[in-house]
Amino acid sequence: MSTTPQPVPSTDEPAPVTGGLSQKGLSAGTVGLIGAVVIGISCIAPAYTLTAALGPTVSEVGFQVPAIILIGFIPMLLVAFGYRELNRTMPDSGTSFTWAARAFGPWVGWMAGWGLIAATILVLSNLAGIAVEFLFLLIDQIAGNPGTIAELAFNPFINVAVCLLFMLGATLISYRDMQTTQKLQYFLVGFQVLVLLIFSITAFVQVAQGNAFDASPIDVSWFNPFAVGSVGAIVAGLSLSIFIFWGWDVTLTMNEETKDPERTPGRAATLTVITIVVLYLLLSIALLSFAGIGTGELGLGNEDIQSNVFFYLSGPVLGPLAFLVSLAVLTSSASSLQSTFVSPARTLLAMGHYGALPDSFAKVSPRFFTPGYATIVASIVASAFYAIMRFVSEDVLWDTITALGMMICFYYGITAFACVWYFRKQWFDSTRMFLFTLLFPLVGGVILAALFVMTLVDSMNPDYGSGSNVGGVGLVFILGVTVIALGIVIMIWQAIKRPAFFRGETLGMDAPASLRRR
Amino acid sequence: MSGAIVVGYTATESGADAAALGARLARSLDARLHLVIVLPADGTRSAAVPPERAYEEVIRNQGKKWLAEAMTELAQDLTRSGHVRFAESFAEGLIAAGEEFGARLIVVGAATGAVLGRHRLGGVASALLHSSPIPVALAPSGTAKAGEAAVPRITAALGTRAGADVLLDEAVALAADSASALRLVSLVPFDVPPGLDTGAIRVVAGSHADEVLAAAQEALPAGVAATVEQAPGDSVEDAVSHLAWLPGEVILVGSSRLAQPRRLFLGSTAAKMLHVLPVPMIVVPRTGIGAVDGKVEGDRT
Repeated sequence: MSTTPQPVPSTDEPAPVTGGLSQKGLSAGTVGLIGAVVIGISCIAPAYTLTAALGPTVSEVGFQVPAIILIGFIPMLLVAFGYRELNRTMPDSGTSFTWAARAFGPWVGWMAGWGLIAATILVLSNLAGIAVEFLFLLIDQIAGNPGTIAELAFNPFINVAVCLLFMLGATLISYRDMQTTQKLQYFLVGFQVLVLLIFSITAFVQVAQGNAFDASPIDVSWFNPFAVGSVGAIVAGLSLSIFIFWGWDVTLTMNEETKDPERTPGRAATLTVITIVVLYLLLSIALLSFAGIGTGELGLGNEDIQSNVFFYLSGPVLGPLAFLVSLAVLTSSASSLQSTFVSPARTLLAMGHYGALPDSFAKVSPRFFTPGYATIVASIVASAFYAIMRFVSEDVLWDTITALGMMICFYYGITAFACVWYFRKQWFDSTRMFLFTLLFPLVGGVILAALFVMTLVDSMNPDYGSGSNVGGVGLVFILGVTVIALGIVIMIWQAIKRPAFFRGETLGMDAPASLRRR
Repeated sequence: MSGAIVVGYTATESGADAAALGARLARSLDARLHLVIVLPADGTRSAAVPPERAYEEVIRNQGKKWLAEAMTELAQDLTRSGHVRFAESFAEGLIAAGEEFGARLIVVGAATGAVLGRHRLGGVASALLHSSPIPVALAPSGTAKAGEAAVPRITAALGTRAGADVLLDEAVALAADSASALRLVSLVPFDVPPGLDTGAIRVVAGSHADEVLAAAQEALPAGVAATVEQAPGDSVEDAVSHLAWLPGEVILVGSSRLAQPRRLFLGSTAAKMLHVLPVPMIVVPRTGIGAVDGKVEGDRT
């Protein structure tokens, strides 16, 4: 392994009594191309993502899932370009929060930070929920006692208890920044990709041999988004496909962390996205043609299996080898729990640091050098959220995923606009600046904003998503609006208690001047 | 100025203990004190977490703050400095810092959860004790409250096993440089082959103790007193726990025979002693430290 930073030349001069703190220069980049791709894939966690998102997407767009996957990537790509520009000029662990505050001022910045934290907390609870179901399924498969143990996962008390244990474990790992080696990470990601390949190829073989549940011949129309029919369905599908690519931008924003900052991030992002898109297309096509979109027992249109399709399909497709899928989803969700914990914790830390939240959030653990307090708060909120939701909604996993897509649109959208506005004086410096700071993020931001508003409006309908509703209003709408309203309430409360940040004293607005000569 | 001492610092009680012991040793040896915080490069030690330079910057600044606070706590007349270093592991970073500064000692604290006044090996200390080419000093919990008085006496626990010569050399050098008394404790009874009868052990022990004392006195500069004590007891723990200690005293023990040449490896005897010792313990690598790079050798004169 070549990840050891170069030895540092001794810069301290002898004997200042107060003691000079030696300034260590930036350590050399530690991540190579393959390393960056592995990190990207592990952050996306394709096995987990697809099992959670495939069912809801099918329910919206039917056979046109491949088309939605392909076009869902476009806004993500456009926004990621904006991310890269912001990260290049203002590297900050507060990401969206800091960038939006610099461009639009403290209030918008606060809400962008809130959106990021809310989205990651939603996904943390969903991840843990999926992991619990697969844990029971895996034990069931290994014990060779079909059904009885896997059923336990659906007892809400057992489910919540195990889920909280899972969260506790993930919190400890994140809090202690448990050392995991690159080798292990390579192995986990490799295993995940391999199992997904085997899963989809076997499904094709089963179809060819006539063993499929509802064999549906692959059709060109699957790639045609216009075959979906309604705009509402496309919007709903897109906001889900936003979620399946979420996390991909880390490969693009990794810069000085890589050994070759000029080339590695771009190549890694390309390689990652090709791998992911191929995997997603292969799997979604394989499962569509194996199970169809009917509402029969194993049909992807069956509401009972939609929130976790691998859970129900791995057995019929793979037979005795189905435990491999359980293992892959389990390891994929477990390892992305750790990387997912990092982003709300670091954003909370930045918010504490700039005085947008209480000081305690800015505390760094003196033993493990992680944002200790913020990590624990994020974990408690995610656990409480999951426990409450599990009792409120039968289809908690489904509804959190849909609400999640909406929250991602919200804060990614703000971040994209922040990029556009922050660089307003540099738009016309060069063609490159025009494309990457104006055109791409603007188009991406507009698409995400449109998705956000349309999803919000559509989700008022009680039939939206899983069909859970409270008092005739769709649960997804209630979730989304409550989360944002809660953010506004807490923001106002903080503005009264900690006015300095909201007056722009700790983090001012800025717009870098044009570099062109006038 | 005689060499340097590196303290593996964290902003915890254990880090404060290490800094206090480091300060005490630096004062006694007239050495320069380096407080070193070792942080994870790219902000994480987990390959599952995306590397982030911006977060690395956050913890770097936090580390500097911690060091600045720690250095104002230390007595102002000490020559001291603070350093933030990045490495894959704390132990690795400390060894690199030790080599960078030509340190004659690396000081670390006990793991959290240690009973007051006792040692408890944490991950960092045990990694160091199994790989460091530089002697490692362990501060039991509560050292920080015991003050910064100079070391009055150095005790060396000697046996006949390979490594005892090096240990004796180091003990003599430390005693000479710190102008403190030297006490040699003979651990011979625990090193003889099992089954040897008690009478024979006594004979061996007695003659060994005499030889060691003679060798030590020859090497000592005038004015440094060396005394020899035989530790009676049924076991290492028993024997060590009956020794009397002066406030501020430290004990030197050798590294295991299992160690790589010039590397530390905490032996079973030393590990047993660690559990009952109320005083700071310095573990010395098997082969001479002078052989590492010569810096330390030169500093002794």
